[in-house]
Amino acid sequence: MSRAQRIRAEATAAWHSFLRRRTAVFFTFFFPVLLVVIFGVLVRTQPTDGGLFAEPAGYYLPGYLATVVLFTPLSRVGSEIARHRDDNRFEKLATTPLTRVEWLLAHTVVNVAIIGLASLLILGLVLLLTDAAVPPLSGLVLLIPFIVSAVVLFCGFGALLGRLADTQDGVIAASNTIALPLLFLSDTFITLEQLPAWFGPLVALSPLTYFARGVRAVTYAPGDPYATELAVLAVLAVAFFVAGAYAIPRTD
Amino acid sequence: MDEAVVAADVTKRYGETVALDGVDLSVADGEVFGLIGPNGAGKTTLVRALTGTTAVDGEIAVEGNAPTAVDPDRIGLLPQSFSPPARLTARELIDYYGGLYETARETDEILSTVGLAEDADSYYETLSGGQQRRVCVGIALVNDPDVLFLDEPTTGIDPAGRRSLWSVLETLADGGTTILLTSHSMAEVQRLSDRVGLLQAGRLVAVGTPAELIDTHGGGSRLVIDTDAADAAADALAAEGFDATAEPTSIIVEGVSPVDIGDAVAVLSAADIAYDSLTWAEPSLEDVYLQLTGETFEGAGARGAAATATAAADSTTTAVVDGDSATQAEQATQEGRQ
Repeated sequence: MSRAQRIRAEATAAWHSFLRRRTAVFFTFFFPVLLVVIFGVLVRTQPTDGGLFAEPAGYYLPGYLATVVLFTPLSRVGSEIARHRDDNRFEKLATTPLTRVEWLLAHTVVNVAIIGLASLLILGLVLLLTDAAVPPLSGLVLLIPFIVSAVVLFCGFGALLGRLADTQDGVIAASNTIALPLLFLSDTFITLEQLPAWFGPLVALSPLTYFARGVRAVTYAPGDPYATELAVLAVLAVAFFVAGAYAIPRTD
Repeated sequence: MDEAVVAADVTKRYGETVALDGVDLSVADGEVFGLIGPNGAGKTTLVRALTGTTAVDGEIAVEGNAPTAVDPDRIGLLPQSFSPPARLTARELIDYYGGLYETARETDEILSTVGLAEDADSYYETLSGGQQRRVCVGIALVNDPDVLFLDEPTTGIDPAGRRSLWSVLETLADGGTTILLTSHSMAEVQRLSDRVGLLQAGRLVAVGTPAELIDTHGGGSRLVIDTDAADAAADALAAEGFDATAEPTSIIVEGVSPVDIGDAVAVLSAADIAYDSLTWAEPSLEDVYLQLTGETFEGAGARGAAATATAAADSTTTAVVDGDSATQAEQATQEGRQ
């Protein structure tokens, strides 16, 4: 049995498990819809009034995408690890040929699929419900490596959280505590100009910043450089994935 | 015979707590080894040590390799309190775990083996507790392992399901699979195991075949007589050479063979002592367990109750008669002598 087949077996089980948790499926897709409806339709952007949402609608597409790219893998992978630990599944898996890297890769693939679908939904809603312009085709294609890299990164981060938190409740609490500030302080919904000057360098420490800036460059401001953002994101993705795989429990 | 599992001076500490204290163990190829002991004795820790899922001091070899280096296709594990993804069907779960191995048994064959062919397409979470445990045993069998570790495999399974699983394990053992199982069911261990080890506070305090352990530590057969006149009855029986001990509402007579029951009844009749029932039982592994662990049941007549409970589980070694039937028992015994 090849590595690919083991990963497929794990990913298939994880995919079916996800699809059959209807509440999880509903809220995974409802959450970004809610955000787009609240901020894109109800609040709407106010380009001339200053304050929050003062930029054109297309500016905030990276922010909407960031919600699923950030929250979903953090909570899903973290909770899955806590659930596996509670049910002694890692103890069982440790005696099979499946490695920790393969386990995380399988669950990352599932998250890429889920978040890819959610991203398509967000993109469609933003274009449908706001006056955002349709990104160029090249920008849409370049969205793929950004989304994949970010999902890999935050799956690794989720694995670290799952290792550190004792319970599923702990994972959810920790992921919300980490994700919420990251979401708003990563050049997504709040521009750098709206933050104190001293805070600017801290924004650069958030991995999500490179996602937001890169996605904005390819979808909202074609011509802006994005290679550096993608490269940083890819390097961080590899680093977090390796750290996350290593953090997955194998023994007690 | 080659050794499938060898452990030498295995020690495991959790801070100040010593979970395993210099355990030496060997399990031969094709042997079924039962591990018994009180909660917290170290059974699960030992299984984890043998399967490489916890680090220990000492030497361990499974099929000649360190636990973490053994070919995973050759070992199977059912961890304690294991629960697979709940919203997969039994068939999907067997497929899933089978997909992780180089070679796997046919899914339908495993489902049939564990008696789940008819419920194969039910979600795990909708199965009964016993059916869920059978799925878990099936998962442990997917790679047709040479060495199988089962940590309390029949917990939560009803008697019929338990006996069905025993048959599965007996078939595996007949086929040459080495099995190490832990259990709190003495009847299970006594029926399945070639040898039994008793862990107590992290130490392996006794190892042997069930018969050896019973002979050495089980004591003799015993007769328990429920009566309100325990002291008088004990005195009367002792006067006739019986080894009788008075409890508040019963007497325990040690070393009584079936043919001696009539004599004991005759002694009580002669002394005009009324009694409610007689219970005779052979010693069992449960008596060994109670003897070696020092555990007892609370309340009067405790040992007798333990013996009865054990024998009842075996359903072949107990005889219970009420007072009205005692005369018949005496007659039957005397007829048996003739």
